[in-house]
Order: sequence, then C-alpha cells, then structure tokens
Amino acid sequence: MSITEKILCSKTHEYILENNDGTFTVGLTDYAVEQLGDIVFLELPEVGTEFQKTETFATVESVKAASEIYMPISGTIVEVNEAVTEAPETLNEDSYEKGWLVKIEKTGTDIEFSDLMDYADYKEELE
Amino acid sequence: MTKQTFLHDKHVALGARMVDFAGWHMPVQYTSIIEEHKTVREAVGIFDVSHMGEVFVSGKDSLKFLNKIVPQDISKLQYEKAVYCQLPNKNGGLIDDLIIYKLGLEDYLIICNASRVDEDVNWMSLNAKGLDVKIDNQSHNYSLLAIQGPKAAEFLATLGLNVNQNSFSIKPAIVAGIKLYASRTGYTGEDGFELMVENDYVEELFDKIMDAGKAFGIKPIGLGARDTLRLEAALHLYGNDLDENTTPIEAGLSWSVPKDKDADYNGKDVIMNQVKNGVEKKLVALQMLDKNIARHGYDVYYNGEKIGVVTSGAVSPTLGVNIALAYVKNLENICIDSVVQVMIREKLHDAKIVKKPFVTKRNIVKI
Repeated sequence: MSITEKILCSKTHEYILENNDGTFTVGLTDYAVEQLGDIVFLELPEVGTEFQKTETFATVESVKAASEIYMPISGTIVEVNEAVTEAPETLNEDSYEKGWLVKIEKTGTDIEFSDLMDYADYKEELE
Repeated sequence: MTKQTFLHDKHVALGARMVDFAGWHMPVQYTSIIEEHKTVREAVGIFDVSHMGEVFVSGKDSLKFLNKIVPQDISKLQYEKAVYCQLPNKNGGLIDDLIIYKLGLEDYLIICNASRVDEDVNWMSLNAKGLDVKIDNQSHNYSLLAIQGPKAAEFLATLGLNVNQNSFSIKPAIVAGIKLYASRTGYTGEDGFELMVENDYVEELFDKIMDAGKAFGIKPIGLGARDTLRLEAALHLYGNDLDENTTPIEAGLSWSVPKDKDADYNGKDVIMNQVKNGVEKKLVALQMLDKNIARHGYDVYYNGEKIGVVTSGAVSPTLGVNIALAYVKNLENICIDSVVQVMIREKLHDAKIVKKPFVTKRNIVKI
C-alpha cells in the first residue's frame, strides 16, 4: 500500500498518518508543496507543545511568501523532523517519507477526523 | 476584469503558475523561482512584461512638460537615450517611477508600472493643461519582452540585432525579421535588452526567441524570479519600496536627482529641502543573520525601539542568504554594519545593514 492510500488530508493541505505506535505523523500534501514552489525555510514547534485542531503549529516559507501550517487534529508534539528544518528543500522532493514535519500524540476525540478526507477525495476536492 | 497579455496562452501551455498581478493574469513561475533566477544570472531568460505601460509624449511643449513632472533634467536627455525618473506629487511623494526615452526632437516614450498607468496618465493630463503636448497612452497596443542575462547580447546578435548599443539607449531595430524598439535596459541587475513590439507580432517574436534561444539555454522567467533578481540588485518595486508618502531622497535615489536643475517641478521644494537638510527616514539594505526571512510589513527594531518597517524581503538565490529593504529612522548609528532586529512571528531576529546593491550590477557585454 502506498503512503497516499494511508493518509488523511485536511482542506488546508496538511496530512496525518497513523503510525504503528499510535502516534500520528503530520506533514504537507504533495499538492501543497507544489503550490508553494521552492521551500526555503521551515519553523517547527518544540517537542512537548500542545496544539488544538486548526491551530497554527508551524510556518513554511517559499521564495515568495510565508504560510502557516495548521493542526489537522489536536495533539502534543512528540517528535520534530530536524533534518527537514536543516534542508527545507527536501519537502519539494518528498513531503511524505523524508519531508514529514512532526509526530504527535492525539489529545482530542475521534470526532476531529470527521472533516478529514482520504487522498482520493482530497484530490477530487482540488479539482 | 483581469487583463491578459498576448502571450497568456503560451505561458499556460508552458506550464506556468498564473497569478493576478496589478490587474493582469501573469506567470509567477514556470518551474522553480530559484532555478529561473539562476538562469538569468548565469545564461539568459525571457520575461513577458507586456503588462507595463507605454505612454508616448509629443508636441512643441513636450520637453517643458516632462521637466515639470519629473525631478530629472530632461533637457540633458539625448536622442535615443533613456533616463530613470520618478513622478512626484506636490509633496515629493512618488506616484510612480518611470523610464523616459527620447525618440525624436519632440517625441518621448514613458514606460510606467502596470499598477500605475491610469494614475500616471491622469496626473500627466492634469499637468499638461495649457501646454502644447499630446499624451498618448499606447499600453494596449504594445507588448514588452525583456531578454536578460550575461548571454543576452550574444544571443540577440544571432537574431540580427546590432548589440553594439550602450546601456540606457533605445533604437528601432529588427529582431528575427520583426520590427521593434530595442532598449538596453532591464530590472534584474544583469545586462540585457527590452524589446517593445506591436501586439500582433509578439507571439511570433516569442516563438522565434524561444526556439533560437535553446542553444543559449534560454528559459521563460516568471514574476517570482523577477522580484528576487531586482531585490538582489536593490532596485525599487513601486508599491513596496516606493509610494506616495516616500520621496526619491528618502528612497535612496538621490543619485538620480539633479541638484542644479533650473526648471520647477512638482515637489521640488520638498525634495530640494531634503537634499539640503537631510531626511527623517531612509531606505537601508538588510542581510538576515539567521535563516529567517524578513517580509514586507515586518517591523524593524533597534535597542528595543521600533525604528522602521521592511518593504521587500526574500531569499537571495545568488548569495544564499536572506535579504531585505527597509525604511528606518535616519539615526546616526544606523549605518553600514549596524545590527538591527526584525520582528518575525513575535520574535526579534538580528539583521545587519549592508551596502546596496546586494549583488553587483553586471556591466554590459561587448560583442
């Protein structure tokens, strides 16, 4: 199963992926990354910070502009992808395997998943 | 209604991402801003800048008229030469910045910013009252292509252009069999030409340039790279770095303002007073000392006090650092090498004041 078959996407172009240990990986969809163009800077939160669903948790900057990244579900940051802050252009190559942003522990209820879409629906929504 | 240039469909076919800019649907990038930027610095790129305005000025009083609306001394402008000008209001604030070309004894061409054509023409008409002058806005009839980069001259020579032409000069020319005006100007800090051609011929011209340019590595360049290129060259962008509340002296354009011009012009008292007595705010070039990027509208601090605001900021693909232009209070200790701070997402980040331009302008290439 490819990674896009396992993710859920938000309308604001973030994805979540449930890991085997019960944490969730959060990142930007390939569509988001393509729209941003050359990514040159990424600011990620510190481990231990808690965010509510739809709250800004990170900032991504392309050559043109700074954009905020929102939490697809509520959670506490348990891991940050330091490699991608060192080399933000990684995101342009691959925003799923290498270019993930943070891992979180879910703090909300499952009702928060109700407005997330699987990748096929998300792609359809874009058209 | 968003306007389209005559090359709009070609940009879309080339895979450009289109955005609305100054009322026009324009390509912001084709592949990657950084890649396009490097193409212009290392080889040659082509820009569709047909959104810009072309206004012809003619008549017995055309010189008198132009001398009334710009601080520059147009009586010193020679035939087939160009001069960078500003269009001040009565307070010395800038309605636009312009290039004025002398095409004949009483004939001039003004290139203005797309977003300002209407304001410019209105202002010019007001100032033309009682003068024997014709202001002819031909923006809808002309397209403008900029061919920029160190290989621009060598490449255009292969299309029949006599590239033995000085910087800031304009000549009627034939390129790839098409009649046009070729001007050795640009907005990138590189050597290059701008080709002004009637709309009906621009598609053919674009195709021929793209085809012949393959051998020189030519690529189409969007407005995104145009912005980073001009910022590295510390060239002002109207609406960001220049506006109706900013004088040319505050904007660091004193070099372009003659101190001995006899003729009276709009805003002369304010501008000359600033030349004599100094300014309260000044435009400085900033280099960020960390990886953060200062953007338009971010505040600038010094010793915990707000002293100004960023007007343009981006990465510098050439230098690999982040750069910005900002207006700051004209304090004595704010000078080259001073460290100030930029407020970015509620945190202060150090930036050093550096010399303008960030990237040295390249001399014209002699073939």
